[in-house]
Amino acid sequence: MHEIYKFVSGPLVWLAFIIFVGGSLYRLISMAILAKKKDGLVYEYFSLKYAFRSIYHWLIPFCSRNSQQHPWLTLVTFAFHVSLIFTPLFLLAHIILIKESWDISWWFLPEGMADFLTIVVIAGCVFLGIRRIVRPEVRYLTNTSDFIILALVGLPFITGFWSFHQWPGSTFMGILHIFSGEVLLVMIPFTRLSHMIFFPFTRGYIGSEFGAVRNVKDW
Amino acid sequence: MKKRPVKLSAPIIFGLVLCLVMTVFAQEDIVEVADSIFSGKKIRPPVPFHHEAHNEKAKIYECNVCHHVWEGGKKLEYETSEEMECSECHYDTTAAGYPFDVIKAYHDNCKGCHLQKKAGPILCSECHVKQ
Repeated sequence: MHEIYKFVSGPLVWLAFIIFVGGSLYRLISMAILAKKKDGLVYEYFSLKYAFRSIYHWLIPFCSRNSQQHPWLTLVTFAFHVSLIFTPLFLLAHIILIKESWDISWWFLPEGMADFLTIVVIAGCVFLGIRRIVRPEVRYLTNTSDFIILALVGLPFITGFWSFHQWPGSTFMGILHIFSGEVLLVMIPFTRLSHMIFFPFTRGYIGSEFGAVRNVKDW
Repeated sequence: MKKRPVKLSAPIIFGLVLCLVMTVFAQEDIVEVADSIFSGKKIRPPVPFHHEAHNEKAKIYECNVCHHVWEGGKKLEYETSEEMECSECHYDTTAAGYPFDVIKAYHDNCKGCHLQKKAGPILCSECHVKQ
């Protein structure tokens, strides 16, 4: 038990972050090289102004026409993504572990709020999973890995929620919580979760093309 | 039959007094990790900690294993600090006005030792048990 905890909360954390950061850099650099080779022109017309204009319009809920057309999906995806990123970074228990290791700390969420945001993430995973089944246009693009990825995203939140509420088996759930968080970090650069690192570039690419080349809005 | 009056013999009186004294002293044994810096700021449940039972089980005989005194970056070998509150030294509240320093001190002390000895609770829910 102590050995497992030491392992998942020590070397595995380092390994997960090294793979996450290193893998992300590798993906970004190799994608940049591939773009240069296959579509070199993109470097000519890529424009920061139009890139940021597009990112801005897609990053604000109900700002793009697409998000106005799908209000429920907009609501869920924004709540889901904000909760997903915000909760782990500002969770008291996480900050205490960082304080223990590096003697630094920062502002944290009230526990009730963190609890609520965790439920938002879990419910978001369920919503997005069901959407992949019931919407034919999404189902067409769905394979098993999409459900596995959704489950992997939900797992750290389910196990965290479980051990926070001290339901039976919360010690095991605590260990699984740490481990599943590490698995998730490692998965980000190498699965569809890589939209986390690619989205400014894909959005900026489309924004540049629509803004600088076609002179139209892309939102 | 005539009812016999209850005679308070010396052994019975002694026994009763002993029970009373033991109860009083038992209540004085520390059963929870507490520090006044947490007054009104408790977010997680306080940690149940039976001082005597713990130290017996953990074979801790020196007070300053926990109640230490540090001076100039060095732990003083013979000094102890059991008459002090932990937060008298570990008092920084840094972020969000919450006493992270004393939390770190407790966690380093408890969890650190548990990990080293491979005994005792280490996860959040193992110590901060919901009441």
